[in-house]
Amino acid sequence: MTIVTRRRFAGLMGGASAAAMLAGKAGAQASARAKEGAVVIGMSLEPPVLDPNLNAAAAIRSVTYLNIYESLMRIDDKGGVGPGLASSHTVSSDGTEYVFKLRPGLKYHDGEPCDSADVKFTLERLSAKDATAPAKSLYQVIAAVEAPDATTVRVKLKNPDAFFLYSVALGDAGIMGRKSAATNGTKPVGTGPFMFKERKEGDSITLAKWPGYRDAASIRLNTVVFKTIKDPAAQVNALLAGDVDTFPGFQAPELVNRVRADGRFAVVIGSTEGETILATNNARKPMSDLKVRQAIAHAIDRAELVAGENGFATPIGSHFPPYNPAYVDLTKTYPLDLDKAKKLLAEAGHAGGFSASLKLPPVGYAQRSGEIIVAQLAKIGIKLSITQLQWPQWLAEVFREKNYDFTIVAHTEANDLDRYAREGYYWGYNSQPFRDNWKAVVREADPAKRVPLLQKAQKILADDAVNGFLYQLGKIGVWHKNLVGLWENAPTPATDLSVVYWK
Amino acid sequence: MFDFLARRAAAAAITLALASIVIFVVLEILPGDPAEVMLGTEVRPDTLAALRAKFGFDRPPLERYLTWIAGLAVFELGNSHAYGTPVAKLITDRLVVTLPLGLMALTWASLVAIPLGVFAASRRGRPADWMVMGFGQLGISIPNFWFGILLALLFAVTLRWFPAGGFPGWRADPLGSLHALVLPALALSLGEIAILSRITRSSMLDTLREDYVRTARAKGVPERLVLLRHALRNALIPIVTVGGLLAGFLIAGAIIVESVFYLPGIGKLVLDSIDNRDLIVIKNIVILLTGCVLLVNLAVDALYAVLDPRPKVNA
Repeated sequence: MTIVTRRRFAGLMGGASAAAMLAGKAGAQASARAKEGAVVIGMSLEPPVLDPNLNAAAAIRSVTYLNIYESLMRIDDKGGVGPGLASSHTVSSDGTEYVFKLRPGLKYHDGEPCDSADVKFTLERLSAKDATAPAKSLYQVIAAVEAPDATTVRVKLKNPDAFFLYSVALGDAGIMGRKSAATNGTKPVGTGPFMFKERKEGDSITLAKWPGYRDAASIRLNTVVFKTIKDPAAQVNALLAGDVDTFPGFQAPELVNRVRADGRFAVVIGSTEGETILATNNARKPMSDLKVRQAIAHAIDRAELVAGENGFATPIGSHFPPYNPAYVDLTKTYPLDLDKAKKLLAEAGHAGGFSASLKLPPVGYAQRSGEIIVAQLAKIGIKLSITQLQWPQWLAEVFREKNYDFTIVAHTEANDLDRYAREGYYWGYNSQPFRDNWKAVVREADPAKRVPLLQKAQKILADDAVNGFLYQLGKIGVWHKNLVGLWENAPTPATDLSVVYWK
Repeated sequence: MFDFLARRAAAAAITLALASIVIFVVLEILPGDPAEVMLGTEVRPDTLAALRAKFGFDRPPLERYLTWIAGLAVFELGNSHAYGTPVAKLITDRLVVTLPLGLMALTWASLVAIPLGVFAASRRGRPADWMVMGFGQLGISIPNFWFGILLALLFAVTLRWFPAGGFPGWRADPLGSLHALVLPALALSLGEIAILSRITRSSMLDTLREDYVRTARAKGVPERLVLLRHALRNALIPIVTVGGLLAGFLIAGAIIVESVFYLPGIGKLVLDSIDNRDLIVIKNIVILLTGCVLLVNLAVDALYAVLDPRPKVNA
């Protein structure tokens, strides 16, 4: 028998009661929140401001788009474009004039009416000469905006633009009130189903259901908290401890199995608009030589790269998402063939290979794929030395100054092939056939007739091996099994909460 | 003693001034600017120029430096480029998390480490001493973020005694806020305990060799009183000095521990601001932290003078 002294006994009692007190607080948070119609959404990155016209961060759109602000058109979970604040629209036969009809009786969270003058104000805020909106280039095509009556908006374009409806459907083009726009960065006011309640910088943003929404009865959540947790291990802890109900965009594929094993969460793999590429400086020697780029293409083993992402990615052979109707599978353009790769390198005068830089941005997929690419290219004698960069450094050094040989990055904008037609873009790609074809794409208003043109564009890029085309980034959605309605795919940065509810 | 402290204060002021110049110059040459980060990959040169002008980056460096110092003098720190909110408010909001966190860690460290060190010194060479020393070695080698992750796994995820992270806010939930700081403070204090206990031990061993200790023992003073009243008081001088230095380490530790427990504190603000190239926030935090560390050292000097009256004669 063990001897329990008086002091030891007191210690035991103290410890036990403290433990009991602490334990009382924990557990069952998710079901308590479900009863209140509350949900805590975890995000990896924090939105700096809450006005998408001030900052390019995708996190801003994830919080505000479809929840706080609404655009003229609306992007759905499949990437399609449907009616938004405008219930209908017409296009002139030459494709240069759009007339939008707004829903009647629209209002902002502060009680101000939302009419065609606000739309004119917003579109001009995006496209004006002195505009500082990050996506200004998308709206440069706007020549004039007119508001003939309260619910009619007429937009004249400088030239036809097949992507115009998509552009005005983006989170960037959320329609803002003339009175509230100036303070929307810190105190956003919109027409959406949720209104801004509170923000704690570095921690969380809280939204509350707006009773004045035109379809308030269909909104089933009362409170939404967006919580920023950057560290992947901390993200898993937050989920498992019940502090967070979902990470719609979970960034750590290596930790997914731990979440799955818990049983409380659904793990849903969808797709993003993110084409992950081994971006190549085409303007620099020796990458300016087609044969060198072809050799690299022959040396890339996509299966290995996808495995590095725990399988949550889809191989691509050109700069185009596989679920798009115009997609063509070009992954076999330069199949894995090390002998052929070496031969091509020798023909280009680099029999012994060469040394080059690989400058990586601070994102998980780039770090993982970077190591694999180094090993793959080493097999044909190309010695890459990795430099880790922070985003600001990457933007300055790689993107603006073009001082790099290779980098790995996912291009997450939809319809972003136009970048290959741009002068002075960081890839240094210069192709008249591609530019001509792209001009035809932009002017073609008929989606069916656009398909062959888009396919031709993909083919040109694949043949030219402009970049190493690696994979379409997967979207790992993790949510509590009782939470319904979150998007499976991420066609645009958004967390559409108007359709989310607790089962 | 006043003379001594006045001289130390003057030295601290000069250090602070020099630090402000270094901070400003370093941020000047740091690649990447906030305007570029805000505008992302769709940026057009004219948009960038407009935004840079709005921030005042187009003005000469000397003018910007002087404007900063003038603002600092009246605690008018301007608005964060990334958040658009006043920097002063950002910093004070975060201090109410980091300050209690650091105090909690430092309190625990002193409460555990000093008795542990005294205990080890009194058992010199015996198994208890070896165990304390071994623990110290372990505590120094374990990175505090790793220890933090382990704590969170055990006490938050498995046992559910504590939240895995986050901070409810003092006004909204004072008890919950205290509760939320327990694990991070524990993670933060591990390294401090390890260092402080070893310093205490060796400092105690030094004083235990002194003549006055032998005299006390010879007089028949009980061993417990010899240790605490005679030896520890004198041994405290190096302990307090190191304790002051550890205050600086606490800030560095907080950067990592706050990320592990997603606490919205100063450490996390520093990290986020570097990511956002929110230069105005970075430079103000760094200069304030520099000021704090200098103040702590000044306080240590003062304490030093109280604990051992001898230096003031020579200083």
